[in-house]
Amino acid sequence: MDFLKSMQIAASGLRAQTGRMQVIAENVANADSTAQRPGGDPYRRKIPTFRSEVDRALEANTVTMGKVRQDPTDFRTKYEPGHPAADQSGYVKYPNVNSVIEMNDMREAQRSYEANVNVISATRRMIQRTIDLLRA
Amino acid sequence: MPISDVPIFSMLRTRMQWHQERQKILAENVANADTPKFQPKDLTPIDFGRQAQPGGGQQLALALTSPAHLASPASAGNFGTSRPLYDVKPAGNAVNLEDQMIKVANNQMDYQAATSLYSRSMGLFKVAMGKK
Repeated sequence: MDFLKSMQIAASGLRAQTGRMQVIAENVANADSTAQRPGGDPYRRKIPTFRSEVDRALEANTVTMGKVRQDPTDFRTKYEPGHPAADQSGYVKYPNVNSVIEMNDMREAQRSYEANVNVISATRRMIQRTIDLLRA
Repeated sequence: MPISDVPIFSMLRTRMQWHQERQKILAENVANADTPKFQPKDLTPIDFGRQAQPGGGQQLALALTSPAHLASPASAGNFGTSRPLYDVKPAGNAVNLEDQMIKVANNQMDYQAATSLYSRSMGLFKVAMGKK
């Protein structure tokens, strides 16, 4: 039945957005994770990627999470000579996580998730209408 | 003659299949709303004029060369897809979520209209049979 296929496509969207949310949560949680040893590199921000994939059983393009990439931008540095992770000149490297960008990403993930849920509930109502044909 | 070959029923059936197919394509668009370089698709509307012609609803049915052959059921038929271009995001993705949501809601309402018509027409048959 084609309606169930629509639901499975939307479910692939839900899965992908959940994976994206996971990466964002990881970034936000580690926004202040410094290195364990003096002068070392702190947590590096991760970037989720999406890939469109042809599902042969569904005959449609579903979406999956691609490789989680690392953000190559520079780390933030702060002058904190007493910090255990400070280098010789007293600077500590902090992760390249920008909370404003993460919040925006989160909003977008939420919005896309809701759109997919909307498709599922619309499809569900259409299936219900088809079943109602039997009752009439 | 099977009930699905009565013109109104076969037309409504084609219409419902079209909505089903469209729902699938819209689901695809929404699921890929964040995939780079993804272009949204949509179905071309059904041509009523072609549907209204006798036998217009079914394409390429098998020919009956012997009276012993069974008539093939009305085939699903393929619906064409069109690609309207809206604003394209920097990543090359052209899905507009609001636009897709409106299309999904529209599709659902039109499907509902088709199923209501279908059950009404069924009701007419029941009246003709004298049993309610």
